[in-house]
Amino acid sequence: MKRSGPLLTLLAGLLVGLFMLSLNATTGEKSTSSYVKPPSSGNPSPSTKASPGTPPARTSAPANPSPARTPVPGGVYTGRTDDDSSAVAITVRDDKAIAYVCDGHNIESWLQGDVKDDGSLRLTGKGGASLDGKVKGTKEIRGTAHVGSGSYAFTIGRTNKSSGLYRANSTVAGARIEGGWIVLPDGEQVGILKRDGKPSPAPEIDPETGAVTVDGQQLTARPVTP
Amino acid sequence: MTVDPNAATQSWPPPEPERRPGAARYLIPALVAAAVAVALGVYGKVHDPAGTAFNLAGFSSTGAVKSWLATVAFFFALVQLVSALMVYGKLPGPRWSATAHRWSGRVAFLVAVPVAVHCLYALGFQSYESRVLWHSLLGCFFFGVFSAKMLLLRSERLPGWLLPIVGGLVFSALTILWLTSALWFFRTFGVTT
Repeated sequence: MKRSGPLLTLLAGLLVGLFMLSLNATTGEKSTSSYVKPPSSGNPSPSTKASPGTPPARTSAPANPSPARTPVPGGVYTGRTDDDSSAVAITVRDDKAIAYVCDGHNIESWLQGDVKDDGSLRLTGKGGASLDGKVKGTKEIRGTAHVGSGSYAFTIGRTNKSSGLYRANSTVAGARIEGGWIVLPDGEQVGILKRDGKPSPAPEIDPETGAVTVDGQQLTARPVTP
Repeated sequence: MTVDPNAATQSWPPPEPERRPGAARYLIPALVAAAVAVALGVYGKVHDPAGTAFNLAGFSSTGAVKSWLATVAFFFALVQLVSALMVYGKLPGPRWSATAHRWSGRVAFLVAVPVAVHCLYALGFQSYESRVLWHSLLGCFFFGVFSAKMLLLRSERLPGWLLPIVGGLVFSALTILWLTSALWFFRTFGVTT
């Protein structure tokens, strides 16, 4: 029984672990919403959560449309396509964007790419899918998505609530589960759940927590950020 | 049970003083290591992943927080490797390299703990991809083998090769953990805070 340093180290680690765990358990509710918020908050400065850590020299505040930086305000843009067949969601953060186009049945595509300084974005996805868009004012993106053989024109608006774009990846009963959800401003959800690559309409998620039950198992859909 | 007061007294510890404590010296750390690793794995598998946990101010997501914490831990793990080589005289080093080794190890471990807590609490033990499976397995293994290393340090006269081997396992585990999580995160989402 010589050195006690190593034991103290282990003990300290155990205490830190238990402390974090109790913190998680007791603040679980609050933190859930704070986790959901950053990518989907639509308040005027959605990037404030992201910027405090970055050096002030790098003005990562796309919310203040300064001409030097990308003029596309960060946040989540959601809406329906002009032909009302599908929903489109685009999450913009700094100069990156990720989009999801989904008809709620069997057509879906994830796309990502860069936001150019003139406020236009060109995103690409699997199977040759593409999306061209341009920001209008500070609250709208107008564009066209090409998914499969169809093309969908859309005008979508920046959301204010915790509504937005979610995805989930997991395995349930041996099947690979991939889900994508768009929560529209009126609360309606459009989503597709793929079981081992086979698409079907997705069950509803709880937009506050992202909780969703798939084949009897509880999963968590997470807000998508580029 | 009655004791015969006239029985010949036995020396304690019983004969073969070499063998008995020797076995316990290796067995206890090994058993503790296995218990820690299995307990973490079982908790991660049985506990319903909460999906979320608290975030730190200034970071955009818990993934970013964890990736940076893991990177700090990995950096100190590299310090560990270098300072261990100095302690063993394989590299020229200052006299305080042993102290540096101890404290960088403590920092690396303590920084890794919150990451592991978040992994286990929010995500759990998962196996849907080989990257995720390896990360889950090695995450449990890491804390097990680290416990073993700490307990082994308390014993004297260990075979000279044992600590370097166990330490090497700790370092390799942490390296692969970092590669399968933080590096993956930075490559997928970009180096963000």
